[in-house]
Amino acid sequence: MDIKTLIDTLHSLERKVLPVLSTSRTLPEIVGATGLKDIEVMRALQWLENKKIVKISTELKEVVSLDKNGVKYVKNGLPERVFITVLKDRELSISRLEKLTGLSKDELNVCLGVLRKKAMALIIQNKELRVKLTAEGLKWLDKEFLEETFLKKVFPLDIKSLSSEDQFALQNLKKRREIVKTEMQKLKHVELLDLGREIISKGIGDDKVVDVLKPELLRSGDWRNKTFRRYDVKINVPKVFGGKPQAYRIFLDGVRKKFMSLGFTEMRGPLVESEFWNMDALFMPQFHSARDIHDVLYVKEPKRAKLDESLVKRVKSAHENGFGTGSTGWGYEFDISRTHRLLLRSQGTACSSRMLASPELKIPGKYFGMARCFRKDVVDATHNADFYQTEGIVVEEGLTLRHLFGLLKMFAKEFAGADEIKIVPGYFPFTEPSAELFAKHPVLGWVELGGAGIFRPELVKPLVGREVSVIAWGIGIDRIAMFKLGINDIRQLFSHDLAFLRNQKVVECPQ
Amino acid sequence: MPTISISLKDLSNLVGKKIGDKELKDLLEYAKAELENVDGDNVSVKFNDTNMPYLWCVEGLAVLLKGVIGKEKGIPDIKIESSEYRVVVDKSVKAVRPFISALVAKGGKIDDFFLKQLIQLQEKFCENFGRRRQKVAVGIYPCKKIGFPVYFRAVPPKSVRFVPLEFSRDMTLAEILESHPKGKEYAWILADTKKYPLLIDSNQEVLSFLPIINSNSIGKLEIGDDELFFEATGTDSSAVNLASCIFALALSVRGFKIHSIKISYTGKTVMSPDVSSSKLAIGKDDVSRIIGLDLRDSEIKNLLEMARFDFKNYSVSIPCFRNDIMHSIDVIEDVGIMYGFNKLEPLPLKTYTVGGASVLQDCVDVIRCVAVGVGFQEVFSSVLTSREELLDRMNLKKAVDVVEVENPSSSGFAVLRSWLLPGLMDVFMKNKHVDLPQKVFEQGLVSVRAGDVVVDEEHIAGVSSHVSVSFTEAKQAVDSLLRACGYDAVYDDFDHPSFITGRVAKVLVKDKMIGFVGELHPFVLNAWGLDMPVAGFELNLSGLFKKE
Repeated sequence: MDIKTLIDTLHSLERKVLPVLSTSRTLPEIVGATGLKDIEVMRALQWLENKKIVKISTELKEVVSLDKNGVKYVKNGLPERVFITVLKDRELSISRLEKLTGLSKDELNVCLGVLRKKAMALIIQNKELRVKLTAEGLKWLDKEFLEETFLKKVFPLDIKSLSSEDQFALQNLKKRREIVKTEMQKLKHVELLDLGREIISKGIGDDKVVDVLKPELLRSGDWRNKTFRRYDVKINVPKVFGGKPQAYRIFLDGVRKKFMSLGFTEMRGPLVESEFWNMDALFMPQFHSARDIHDVLYVKEPKRAKLDESLVKRVKSAHENGFGTGSTGWGYEFDISRTHRLLLRSQGTACSSRMLASPELKIPGKYFGMARCFRKDVVDATHNADFYQTEGIVVEEGLTLRHLFGLLKMFAKEFAGADEIKIVPGYFPFTEPSAELFAKHPVLGWVELGGAGIFRPELVKPLVGREVSVIAWGIGIDRIAMFKLGINDIRQLFSHDLAFLRNQKVVECPQ
Repeated sequence: MPTISISLKDLSNLVGKKIGDKELKDLLEYAKAELENVDGDNVSVKFNDTNMPYLWCVEGLAVLLKGVIGKEKGIPDIKIESSEYRVVVDKSVKAVRPFISALVAKGGKIDDFFLKQLIQLQEKFCENFGRRRQKVAVGIYPCKKIGFPVYFRAVPPKSVRFVPLEFSRDMTLAEILESHPKGKEYAWILADTKKYPLLIDSNQEVLSFLPIINSNSIGKLEIGDDELFFEATGTDSSAVNLASCIFALALSVRGFKIHSIKISYTGKTVMSPDVSSSKLAIGKDDVSRIIGLDLRDSEIKNLLEMARFDFKNYSVSIPCFRNDIMHSIDVIEDVGIMYGFNKLEPLPLKTYTVGGASVLQDCVDVIRCVAVGVGFQEVFSSVLTSREELLDRMNLKKAVDVVEVENPSSSGFAVLRSWLLPGLMDVFMKNKHVDLPQKVFEQGLVSVRAGDVVVDEEHIAGVSSHVSVSFTEAKQAVDSLLRACGYDAVYDDFDHPSFITGRVAKVLVKDKMIGFVGELHPFVLNAWGLDMPVAGFELNLSGLFKKE
């Protein structure tokens, strides 16, 4: 930056401080010379130093200043002064002195100590303790103690600069309670550098420079005669944290939009679900191990769901004897009371079973749901108390396993950016055939992306009323979410760390 | 999901082809299984399908893999020689454990590999498929020590004493349930019965206290044994026969000859095991309808034989050890698996459909945008929380409208949130060191009990915290949100224990209360450990919308 530009950038505070630096070197001096506040001078000096116009050097000094009692004694006089002034040439008892001087017992004791050490007072042992001044003591009645001289100075004081008498007085006072205190203090010295001297010689006192563009300037047109102070536009500004959406929700919003763009309609369902929709309607036998009390969270009250009992009857028949689908069914006695039991939805497929039985079901139709689900897991880096499952169905006559593969291939491309996929046989209690999808993510490598299958006829017929092919799928997007959000602990998806949330990236810039 | 460990060398010997871990990894896809762990020759295999227990031993796996690689095809032959062995079933077991299936195997040798597999299969089968021994449990004994016929009866708990496996002193059945480790583990199965099932031979020697523990004298199999007695007991006749079939398969793979046993129930006698296959018809176009492939009959036949079925005239014979076939699709899936999922060409979906979100979702998403515009940082929380956070710290004494979990994994996740504001207080509590002002909001579902139903509501709540926060600031935020929805809110006096009296208002839209706004009570701030004032609001957005 050339020197003219540099001068243009000077702030009005800098403009006030810079000229006095030829003669003033310390903060109090500069404050005195400019009439600015301490903080304003410090800010200006800091900016000037950043621009290499001045150099600020700091010196560590031991300084002495007045403590609590010191302040008091400067105002009221040292206790020993009060003591001898009251005593004069008399001989008085301690108790009498206490009354006359108004000093505390402690202070009286200190006085006696100090005065006797200096041979100024005598203690006479009679029936009671009595005190009188010595000849030496009487001399000091109208003479200043060294300590008194010292206390009259302006504090804080640089200890190094003290005379030997002052040093002596200081040592004496330091022994006494809370009169003086010493501490290490930083003293700042400001020195003009060559650049500073050059600027001063060029002159900066230009009243044509404007800091703030005020409305009056605009109205009067005076701005035409002014120049505007240049800013240091590279300087860091304080951070502000305005409103911002949460990153994981933004990610989920993106997934939702993606499904809609692929022609899927959103399904929703309740968090508190019945065993019926969550499991029985999905043809999961009531003895299935995933239905164990150790895996599923049950609701205390209310306990029973209201259900369409004719639908329950059809599902019961599917479990027991296949409901006329050509299946044997599971061949056990279906428990009607259990199917009404309320629990926290454990799988997003519960939304699919509701959709299939809904009068709003369209055939052909494509549906997705992003459902909050619950399992009885211990919360750790890979398990949240509740989590999202992204699942859905495609309902259409004549869908085959090959269509299911086509759908999975599309999901791999759309949700993991993967062209390479691997589909292997899988097992889910509600689909046959069943498959698992692995996708080669550009960064993560092979990822298990989801599972899919064709809903069993024993599931479809009771809910839809007839057999129709239904592809059911679920994709695991949490791993991709964690990758995109740059986190490796799943609990951070629901983080309450405000600094983390404020600084988290929410915009996925196309690369 | 059951996981078994096997030796690659042993598997290769049984299949008749060298199989390394890489080959096995690919082959396991045909068994819906994964290679979990490789430790030299020892590998562990995890099965995703919980309905095919015949695979849970190396012998069963070898049978399937021989089909896959073309070493054998169709249903494997399990030869049964008829014999005079007899098990007599007393009617006393009917109420406890009514069914038994059994066999005798001779002519092979128990070696180290096979003994481990037998024990492993027994464990996995009983735990997973046998529902922790309740539905089915199996036992294997050295046959030469047993005096036939064997008697299966239920006896009073203290009427019989014997030395259980791995013990040196004799105990009554009741004592075993109380003090033997297996007795304690499985006592629950017999909790409701007065008599306990017992297997005892004609010399009055106890074989086993079912389904708890074998006897130490004749209930222990050892390396070198060449004649075995096997039994399966349980509550389901087809499941106990399945157990016999699977063990018969494993034993015959190891070169044993299976000898049948007559089971004499009161009034009838059955031959055990029943290894006959069952038949299932499939439709002519079922394969193309489900898999999407036009295969010739000979191809279908070949693929089914690879999966160890037999096939003739669209009738499939199902081997006795396959219990998972309920419907023709179960067989047709195997056609697809044997064809190779990797060889199936994917097809795009045919029909055009219009996508869309629920109206409610679109609406709350825009309200979220407005909240961000008002200056709130969005947070997103778990919906499970604790009573303490939801009620106690909010100065709410009792709330009947909260949905509680009956069996929570911890008290921190024991209730569904009924409002969002406590979650936002948690944010403040955890961020006391973070720069002020702090303003956060959350939009999401809460669950409220209304009598005997639970209703989910879409809520939004926002809170601000800084030195000069006030009712005004919170009310301005509510005004902004509702103005964006096209509503002018009306405010009225309100009492709410979480807020300072006289500094809380109810929010009304079209004469209906949809939320509240106010300054949080110092009691609440204290409970959350906060020394900075907080003002906030909570609105039930579902109250603004017509029912979906």
